[in-house]
Amino acid sequence: MLHSAGVSTLLSVENLQTHFVTRSGVVRAVDDVSWDVEEGETVALVGESGCGKSVSALSIMRLVAGPAGRIVGGRVLFKGRDILKLSEEEMRRVRGREIGMVFQEPMTSLNPVLSIGRQLTEGLEIHLGMTPADARRRAAELLGMVGIPDPERRLAQYPHQFSGGMRQRMMIAMALACKPSLILADEPTTALDVTIQAQILELMKDLSRRFGVAMLIITHNLGVVARYADRVNVMYAGRIIERGSARELYARPRHPYTLGLLRSVPRLDEPRRARLDPIEGQPPDLTRLPPGCAFTPRCAFSVARCGVESPPLAAVDQGGHVSACWEAAHLDRVPVRSAAT
Amino acid sequence: MKEDAPLLEVRNLVKHFHVGGGLFGGRAGVVRAVDGVSFAIRRGETLGLVGESGCGKTTVGRCLLQLERPTSGQVLFEGRDLTTLDEDELRPIRRRVQVIFQDPYSSLNPRMTVGQILAEPLMVHDIVTDRERRGQRVRELLSHVGLLAQHAHRYPHQLSGGQRQRVGIARALAVEPALIVCDEPVSALDVSIQAQIINLLEDLQAGFGLTYLFVAHDLSVVRHISDRVAVMYLGKIVEITDRKSLYDVPRHPYTKALLSAVPIPDPALEGQRERVVLGGEVPSPLNPPAGCAFHPRCPIAIDRCRAEGPELREIGPGHRAACILA
Repeated sequence: MLHSAGVSTLLSVENLQTHFVTRSGVVRAVDDVSWDVEEGETVALVGESGCGKSVSALSIMRLVAGPAGRIVGGRVLFKGRDILKLSEEEMRRVRGREIGMVFQEPMTSLNPVLSIGRQLTEGLEIHLGMTPADARRRAAELLGMVGIPDPERRLAQYPHQFSGGMRQRMMIAMALACKPSLILADEPTTALDVTIQAQILELMKDLSRRFGVAMLIITHNLGVVARYADRVNVMYAGRIIERGSARELYARPRHPYTLGLLRSVPRLDEPRRARLDPIEGQPPDLTRLPPGCAFTPRCAFSVARCGVESPPLAAVDQGGHVSACWEAAHLDRVPVRSAAT
Repeated sequence: MKEDAPLLEVRNLVKHFHVGGGLFGGRAGVVRAVDGVSFAIRRGETLGLVGESGCGKTTVGRCLLQLERPTSGQVLFEGRDLTTLDEDELRPIRRRVQVIFQDPYSSLNPRMTVGQILAEPLMVHDIVTDRERRGQRVRELLSHVGLLAQHAHRYPHQLSGGQRQRVGIARALAVEPALIVCDEPVSALDVSIQAQIINLLEDLQAGFGLTYLFVAHDLSVVRHISDRVAVMYLGKIVEITDRKSLYDVPRHPYTKALLSAVPIPDPALEGQRERVVLGGEVPSPLNPPAGCAFHPRCPIAIDRCRAEGPELREIGPGHRAACILA
């Protein structure tokens, strides 16, 4: 998405800090993180388990499980208002109405004892004040829009009568129901089969374009992000370590972790390699992070400074590509695709 | 036995599960989880078995190990039909055929240390009876899978996902197997760790002359590790051939659709790529469609496909596909 005049920032996360108190110490799950989403744009938060991507999403919705988890600092500006300061009552109007949500496992986020129709009409009646009859008509329309055949009959059914792919379609219908300006999708296709994944992603892309809804996609899958995101934020150990337009970031990664992720996956469009190029070592233990840059112990490019001083996110070009690496300037000579054999 | 005889041969394997008709009086039915599957694996080879959830690929793996007893068909391992053996006769075979599971956490006993987990098969199969030598063997196994001697004293919960999978692999190796069924061995792991484990599996195969049946849904990973690949849909193999042919010249429309659905981590390429997005969903194996089971989703189906179940037939050297139009 171009940052041209006329496009305004929809969501702006500033210096967000979310901590969890555990028996082995305080975990800084989200550690002073800033990023934003423009209107109509699709932004990705990518990273592996424990990197803080899902906690970031929960923080925005103020759904972090207390008392262990707490937002300890920062601001989340949605349409200019700091939603961390809203009352619980006001926050409920933001959730579902202004920000729709799609989660990984639709079965656990749908109510098994309420009919599909009721789950869809509830939000319409509460948030939009529709009459039951209008809400029902709109619900059928929504199901049709997400590609569920025979919507009238489907409204009377229950989640267990839907397949995994249909449940995810239903989640998307619910997320879109109140015409939100942002949809937050946390691993929306991870639980689905490849052919169904493709269906759901194409659907989400199509709907976001048609209705001009911005999307925040949270995923561990670099492939998913490549096709659908305008901008990508890569997270590691609670921080954003690189951000850029999808094209720029995939073509010229400037953080050793991003580079390592891109090089480690086998790709169908490339000749088969004799050997994969993994990132060595283990994911970090968040209760015992090393000093300096958290990626240092696994990094092939680290220098003495990396183990002492944590690098800030700094620009690597004029187009908004930033990287948190002391050696970022030297990474432009490293090819993303290793030589094929 | 001849040198070039396959290590494992599966002939017309069928596994049906009976469901329903229980306490709540649901209508009884038969799930045709595996419905006439045949393939062979040569010594030292990796056969990839791919398909979406419910296609029966995991059940095939479990039937090889006789963890599920097949409804009919033969599983010939080193020439012996395992389906005719009783539990006592199977015990020595279980040393030769091992399994690595998807979720290393639920397949490791949480109350045993890594050392105890690895020593157990050595005792059960009377491989190393001397206590001290057993400790030595455990350390050796740990080093084979890239772990340190001190990991023997840890419990599974103290390890990361990748380390736990290494323990699962070491446990399979402990009994010096010939064949390992790898059931989605990397799909629960972080991306940065998957490549480590795949490289490890390949090193071990080269070092110990192992044969793998690699069951997975990730087509990129399967291409990397397999010599030959079989694609399953609704309990049947729809295409089987060597790696290169399957990925370069897929012949079954389902294989084509699967390959086209795999996202490529490159926005520039993805932007231009035409996708075959399959409509519909995988039908229930309780009530598979008549004719070719794939016809309701198939972009090229003709009338004959609705009536006639296609045979898995030879369409090129070593290349078989179950499609009348292939």
